[in-house]
Amino acid sequence: MNNTSDAIIIGGGIIGCATGYYLTKKGFKVNLLERAYLTAGSTGRCIGGIRQQFSTPLSIKVAMESMKKFGTMRDELKQDVEFHQGGYLFLAHSEEKKQTYMKLIEIQREMGIDVSFIGLSEIERLVPGIDPTGLLGGAYCPTDAQANPFLIVDGYAKAIKERGNVFPYKDVTQINVQKEKVVSVTTRDNETYFAPVVINAAGPFARDIAQMVDIDIQVYPERHEAMITEQMERFFDMMVVDYRPDGCYFNQKWPHGSVIGCYTPIPNVPGYDLGTSFEFAREMGRRMARLIPRLGNTKIIRHWSGSYEMTPDGNPILDKSDVDGFWIVGGMCGHGFMLGPEIGWLAAEYITEGKAPYDITEFALHRDFTGKEVMK
Amino acid sequence: MKIICRCEDITEEEIVQKINEGYHTMDDLKRILRVTMGLCQGKGCRKHIAKILSRELNIPIKDIVQPTYRPPVKPIPVSATADKE
Repeated sequence: MNNTSDAIIIGGGIIGCATGYYLTKKGFKVNLLERAYLTAGSTGRCIGGIRQQFSTPLSIKVAMESMKKFGTMRDELKQDVEFHQGGYLFLAHSEEKKQTYMKLIEIQREMGIDVSFIGLSEIERLVPGIDPTGLLGGAYCPTDAQANPFLIVDGYAKAIKERGNVFPYKDVTQINVQKEKVVSVTTRDNETYFAPVVINAAGPFARDIAQMVDIDIQVYPERHEAMITEQMERFFDMMVVDYRPDGCYFNQKWPHGSVIGCYTPIPNVPGYDLGTSFEFAREMGRRMARLIPRLGNTKIIRHWSGSYEMTPDGNPILDKSDVDGFWIVGGMCGHGFMLGPEIGWLAAEYITEGKAPYDITEFALHRDFTGKEVMK
Repeated sequence: MKIICRCEDITEEEIVQKINEGYHTMDDLKRILRVTMGLCQGKGCRKHIAKILSRELNIPIKDIVQPTYRPPVKPIPVSATADKE
């Protein structure tokens, strides 16, 4: 029966597909329901950066483990995923920022990340043509990386299909609970799928899905815009992150060399809208060309937007809920792609073994949300 | 051999092969083959791909959903908008 499985996953992005992949490896038959095409929510709209430079021991560990999984993915999924370790460079334009990075570097190095604070001459060597005005140096990790979200999700989905099914264009409208326990979900086209485990990996829609079982979770989507340029010869290898209030971040895609980038709008833009603004096109161009003037000559070919699924403290939610069998894996705060493989593995382990392989109480559903991830 | 997507150099055979593998929408094909993701953003190939999908899957061409159209309509230099107030 195609309609019965060991677990149902709601959401066909990196989180849902990675969770499904690792559940499948543990012997589960997984039915994955995606409301549109795979990666349609947030994963396919991200710019594909993967970094380990986070600020707390847990987020650093998850990021490092995730990086290891990206590193072996080509062999695991038996297809190229355009994984390339070109690094991440966080620029410091103020003494204060420099001190913040220095402190974080200490924690990160202690945990084994190859990261250091580099000076201007090194930056100018790594990013030819960068404008050094006001620049004091930067936190550079050469093993940070990028990869192709579409190919990774595609590879995970293929693996899920070896035992279970991936159903695109299946919009979940109802989750059926009996005696405080999930039993099935119903989709807009009136199909019902049965499983004792239902995983909410709906990204920006996670809160709406949770409301179907009367649970309120603190996950709020925000719109972030992004753009990509024409292809060109690659002349810098890493993600350049300008953390000034009017900064931006961008890299050159591997292998074709298009510059892809975005910035975090101030104030933020809450809601589900995925439109684009002329202001972004103008600002992004200005910010990029201010940092690397020669990029002023390159052409923007597309400009789109996607959602960051924000939690109040910037950490994900990975937990069971008060409804037996209903799990929440989300609230990735813009880090879904880069942390996805490890989060998926953690979720699968937690679900099958009954406990997480290491302490993830910081990701608990019922937690004090007042802390803050600094490296947002 | 027919080149369908000239920006990304994708042939009709490659598109048909992916359709046979189960990529049944424009959005699926776009993300697996990069068709419509190049310099022309699909202006040259969208209709051809829709036609191939329609033929291979035997569905009316009006029912083929096109990926979202996004700005800019044609490539513009970063500096063209950056300098303007």
